[in-house]
Amino acid sequence: MGLDVLFKIAGVGILISVFHTALKQAGKEDMAHLCTLAGFAVVLLWVVQLLGKLFTTVQDVFKLF
Amino acid sequence: MDIVQIVGLGFVVTLLILIIKRERPEFAMQLSLALTAIILIVLLAKINVVLNLFRDLADKANINQLYLNTILKIIGIAYITEFGAQICKDAGEGAVASKIEFAGKVMVMVLAIPIITLVIDTIVRLMP
Repeated sequence: MGLDVLFKIAGVGILISVFHTALKQAGKEDMAHLCTLAGFAVVLLWVVQLLGKLFTTVQDVFKLF
Repeated sequence: MDIVQIVGLGFVVTLLILIIKRERPEFAMQLSLALTAIILIVLLAKINVVLNLFRDLADKANINQLYLNTILKIIGIAYITEFGAQICKDAGEGAVASKIEFAGKVMVMVLAIPIITLVIDTIVRLMP
């Protein structure tokens, strides 16, 4: 189904944590925070699309509006 | 998708969430949000089948469609409220979760007002 989204989010999360630690070790802490924010925005985009699909489906099934 | 696949998927994603939660808790919350949304989407198709059965039964029993639709809307609001409140609680935001639950209760109350009015009217008409 939409299972690849889950693994993409997990992959981005692990990658961002690795980058954050590496950049912090290299002394560029602000770059690390920027990198985390960028990854967070990308993941948020995917999650918001998924939530949109969920709420449309719920509205259709329960005829909420 | 049968129950074994859903349980297996839940286990795998829970482990991933545990790994990510220690470093980047915000990604862990989004991962749990995505998983619960996907499981709900898959289940909603099957719930649709059950709801169609209820609608057929209500038609055969000559129940007004308004009552059944109100009950279904209330069930839908309950599902969404529980989904949102639990995700916020897992992220540690108990205050947000309790306000979401409160909003759900208020909306259910507002939806039930026409039916309560109808019940009171019927009772008043029955009284001499």
